[in-house]
Amino acid sequence: MINKLRVYNPVGIFLVLLLFFYHTNAWSGTPVIHIEIHNHLFNPSEIIIPENTKVKLIIHNKDTTDEEFESYELNREKVILGNRKGVIFIGPLPAGEYPFFGEFFPKTAQGKVIVK
Amino acid sequence: MLLSSVIIILREVLEAALLLSILTALARQLQLNRHWIGWSLLFGLIGSIVYGVNTDIVSEWFEGVGQEVVNAIMQLTIYFMLLMYIILLTRFVNHQKISNAVLAFIMIAISTLAITREGSEIILYFFSVTGNDNHLLVVLIGMIIGGSIGISIGLLFYYLLINLRNNWSIIIGMSLLILVAAGMVSQASLLLIQADWLPSQLPLWDTSGWLSERSAFGQLLYALIGYEATPTALQAGLYVTGLVLPIILILGLKAKYNRQKHNQSLNVQK
Repeated sequence: MINKLRVYNPVGIFLVLLLFFYHTNAWSGTPVIHIEIHNHLFNPSEIIIPENTKVKLIIHNKDTTDEEFESYELNREKVILGNRKGVIFIGPLPAGEYPFFGEFFPKTAQGKVIVK
Repeated sequence: MLLSSVIIILREVLEAALLLSILTALARQLQLNRHWIGWSLLFGLIGSIVYGVNTDIVSEWFEGVGQEVVNAIMQLTIYFMLLMYIILLTRFVNHQKISNAVLAFIMIAISTLAITREGSEIILYFFSVTGNDNHLLVVLIGMIIGGSIGISIGLLFYYLLINLRNNWSIIIGMSLLILVAAGMVSQASLLLIQADWLPSQLPLWDTSGWLSERSAFGQLLYALIGYEATPTALQAGLYVTGLVLPIILILGLKAKYNRQKHNQSLNVQK
């Protein structure tokens, strides 16, 4: 009986931990910000997010062409296919301005994240 | 259009070209025949097309972070393959038997994955930019220029490496390989942070004022050693782990072979 308990204990602990993480994740409520790409332009091209906070960006590419969301300052890089959306988590970040651009159409696709 | 296509292709080609040039230079020291390069290019091309065409499906996986997860898995696979390669190289340097077939397999796997990862983005870029207007010629010229610069830098590295004296060539080639490998771990961790699979943290430091990732040298260092101006503690920790692990392996193996040699010479004396 005791042996059996020993076997199941780690599994139980793992499950409880998993539930806990799931729970806290669900409740902590990462802020979500939507950005659209249309005619190789970001809309909005400037977003403001709070300091020291993780934010979920959902980028909707309304163009038929693919685009690559890229930012050296944010350390982010992701292909967003045409007529699709992509999810990118950014932050937590110290206050400042973090430019991003569309690597495939950099002439027009420019924007920045302002952290306040 | 021209400049942006030069830059994007250069960035993609550079990473794969550096890795391939180091592997090729080391293969020369190992006296491996060059068939593996042809196979790598072929499999890499197939991989690029398959992954490029299916990026839309992969993107939808894991609630929209499939790209990050798949790319991270590819980077980590390259890392572990590089570890095995480094073990074989250490055996070779210490006059132990190594299997050329295994060596060739590992090199083909590393190169195929590296080419697939970068090549698929080039394919997406090409079809995206030339999709609905007539930029075709400009983009093609830009891609050729960017690709040529990337391959030239790779060749430069190759000739620098093979023109060193034998021992130095292997030591420096292996050191570069370890740095590239650690860069892979750092990139994989960054992708998993971006996907929220690894916890995100505030940056540990900011060296962008000193060396920007946008600068040419910053880009080269990014491709070569995985330079990041603003890493998080987790990313930096994994980078250091990725760096230290192969060094421990090499030193451990070396100590083992030295002991064996020592024991053998004792036996001979008896």
